[in-house]
Amino acid sequence: MDKILRIDVGAEGGPKATAVPVGEYAGLGGRALTSAIVLKEVPPLCHPLGGENKLVIAPGLLSGTAGAQTGRISVGCKSPLTGGIKESNSGGQPSQVLAKLGYGAIVLEGRPKGDDLYKIFINKDGVKITKDNSLKMLPNYDVVEKMKKEYGDKICCISIGPAGEMKMGAATIAFTDMELRPTRHAGRGGVGAVMGSKNIKVIVLDATGMPVRAPKDPDKFQDANKRFVDGLKKHPVTGQGLPAYGTNILTNILNEVGGYPTYNFRQGRFDGAAKISGETQADTETKRGANPTHGCHRGCVIQCSGTYNDKDGHYLTKQPEYETVWAHGGNCGISDLDKIAMMDFLDDNYGIDTIEMGATIAVAMEAGLAPFGDADAAIKMIHEVGKGTDRGRILGNGAGMTGKAFGVERVPVVKNQAMPAYDPRAVQGIGVTYATSPMGADHTAGYAVTANVLKVGGDVNALKPEGQVELSRNLQIATAAIDSTGMCLFIAFAVLDQPDTFQALLDMLNSFYGLNLTGDSVTELGKKILKMERDFNTRAGFTPQHDRLPSYFKTEKFAPHNVTFAVKDEELDKVFNW
Amino acid sequence: MIDKHSAETGPYPHLAFVVARPLVSSFFLLLQQGVMLRSRVGCSVEAFLRQELKASPGTIEKIQSIVLDGKPVDDIGTAVLHNGSALALSAAMPGLVGATLRRGGAYSSFRSAITYHEPGTACMPGEGWVRIKIFNLLMAELGPDLLRKGVLLRSADLLGFLAGRAREFQQGCSVTLNSRSIDVGMLDGNAGLGKADQVFLSVSSGPAAA
Repeated sequence: MDKILRIDVGAEGGPKATAVPVGEYAGLGGRALTSAIVLKEVPPLCHPLGGENKLVIAPGLLSGTAGAQTGRISVGCKSPLTGGIKESNSGGQPSQVLAKLGYGAIVLEGRPKGDDLYKIFINKDGVKITKDNSLKMLPNYDVVEKMKKEYGDKICCISIGPAGEMKMGAATIAFTDMELRPTRHAGRGGVGAVMGSKNIKVIVLDATGMPVRAPKDPDKFQDANKRFVDGLKKHPVTGQGLPAYGTNILTNILNEVGGYPTYNFRQGRFDGAAKISGETQADTETKRGANPTHGCHRGCVIQCSGTYNDKDGHYLTKQPEYETVWAHGGNCGISDLDKIAMMDFLDDNYGIDTIEMGATIAVAMEAGLAPFGDADAAIKMIHEVGKGTDRGRILGNGAGMTGKAFGVERVPVVKNQAMPAYDPRAVQGIGVTYATSPMGADHTAGYAVTANVLKVGGDVNALKPEGQVELSRNLQIATAAIDSTGMCLFIAFAVLDQPDTFQALLDMLNSFYGLNLTGDSVTELGKKILKMERDFNTRAGFTPQHDRLPSYFKTEKFAPHNVTFAVKDEELDKVFNW
Repeated sequence: MIDKHSAETGPYPHLAFVVARPLVSSFFLLLQQGVMLRSRVGCSVEAFLRQELKASPGTIEKIQSIVLDGKPVDDIGTAVLHNGSALALSAAMPGLVGATLRRGGAYSSFRSAITYHEPGTACMPGEGWVRIKIFNLLMAELGPDLLRKGVLLRSADLLGFLAGRAREFQQGCSVTLNSRSIDVGMLDGNAGLGKADQVFLSVSSGPAAA
């Protein structure tokens, strides 16, 4: 990973690829690298869909190695949805493959000269960029099928669907999984629209003939990896709960505590929750011959994913995640798991963020476009997005745009990005992260190891009122660092509870690169990333007023606990004081 | 609210399944929806887990999230079950919010607005009904004993669960309604429950089901 592949999409005669040394970006990976390039090279006031914006796709520091859980890939740019810096990450195969090919990042830059659409093929022999207008407006599954016919089945793909080509704010970039299905997505912030603005439809990767990346100290790396895997397997979340039920294991408990946003964040309980829970989903999958325990990339030992079959036993989609089931389920008043799975497939195929789309449909339902609970109407809305009808263009640009277009006040967004599946009035600490993350409302922004392991910012007294702010800060710092390693964020559960597993992670990094990182080093990296991202946003025009939840969260009582968001603005403004 | 009564099954129809051991787990999904259990009340959650659910110390350790009347519990030694209480039990959950909901966890302040606090009203020890929900990995830990003991649930929930499962139960299953054998095929219909709103269900494994 000692080179960056820069592709100038505005070059004479069509896009031109140049591999350059990583130079000043050496030692960075994943989110740290995408945010560093965006901060240095993208003017903060540029139009996100213009020639000055860049799309950076970067595997993590440990991607392409024999290390477990190292298959995350980061996508960075100025977001068309939020107007700020964006890092959106994904699982799937491409992170491992791109790293094996030796690239620390792919950077799409410049402004295309015409309307032609291109595909990029990268293997050990180099890069080939070809005009292919036959791909125009093809959905992701069809694109991948075409690439398989053309390049064989040893490939993996990074692609956009019609939503990306139409440059919608909810557009994703799809990454293929182990079965060469476009099921994993860099979903948030409209990164697919930026790829669409560069007229690049698909990047095909083939690492045939390329070895696994070799560590500086193979024995120590192998030992650290073994301890790391043992730690994941012995932990009840990563070793048992996630493999058995996936992330949708959360539905029942969130519903029980009244923190499950229902009917566009109107209440915290959904009567149909048991019908769409992870337990019901796993039972349904098993009965239909699907697989409820499956990884999204090679080297995954957590296996939180799976497959979902229709009533006839045919593959319909990958196992929908908790956030997807919530967004299209309880948030829209829909309790039909098959229809939710269909929506998951359509989102993946058209290339739309499932969280943003579900939140948007709920806002549309609030506006009266369809009654809550009408699954067929929800499916029709997604088709409208995929086809680009006038209404679909509005819906495809997210909950904020839809709220404006149809005159809805209750729009659950921060920095114009829709909130995920945890109500910030019931779980107020996550509201602090929603409000203050440079990414907009994001449940993964403050997720990972924290004070108890890293001692970030010293010991935190969580019982003090300001403890939520301190914890959110520390979680965001640690998460930013983890996002740079290529590690799946779900390792956080084991690392959070088991200091020896955290040490194993550090040992993996140290033995691979010949470094001597400590917990403090990780903290400093996390702070550096957040500082870069905050710096970009400030120069893009963001102020403390953007670090707020919509005002109705402060005034509208949330049933069943009848609570409002009570963290004061002045406390929110302290999150990044360190 | 279900009326108090003292008999084991009360006035409710008793549908008893004796099934081949692998089929017991088929009934676990009912536990996530909530079932009523006749039990001691006025005792701590910890005592309830130990004495009523026969949970071992190891199982109690696995119960990482406990929700009493919709509120996450931190101290199972002081939270008290009342007649009509709703208790939900879950193993460790993923995600930050999953960690937030753990009892006594480092992130409990994140949900302090909804944390359970004992109201302080006196609760005399006695008998009562507790609505219990069991989620995820705990279904297999606590489900068999609970189902063997028997639970009260809404007939509609049970019939909804049984609909379309007659074939699944054709093999390795015998069913009695109020101690009289019924044909498994009846499970696709009303199962002989008539207009009863609630039904007492028990499920055990045994040779009769072979």
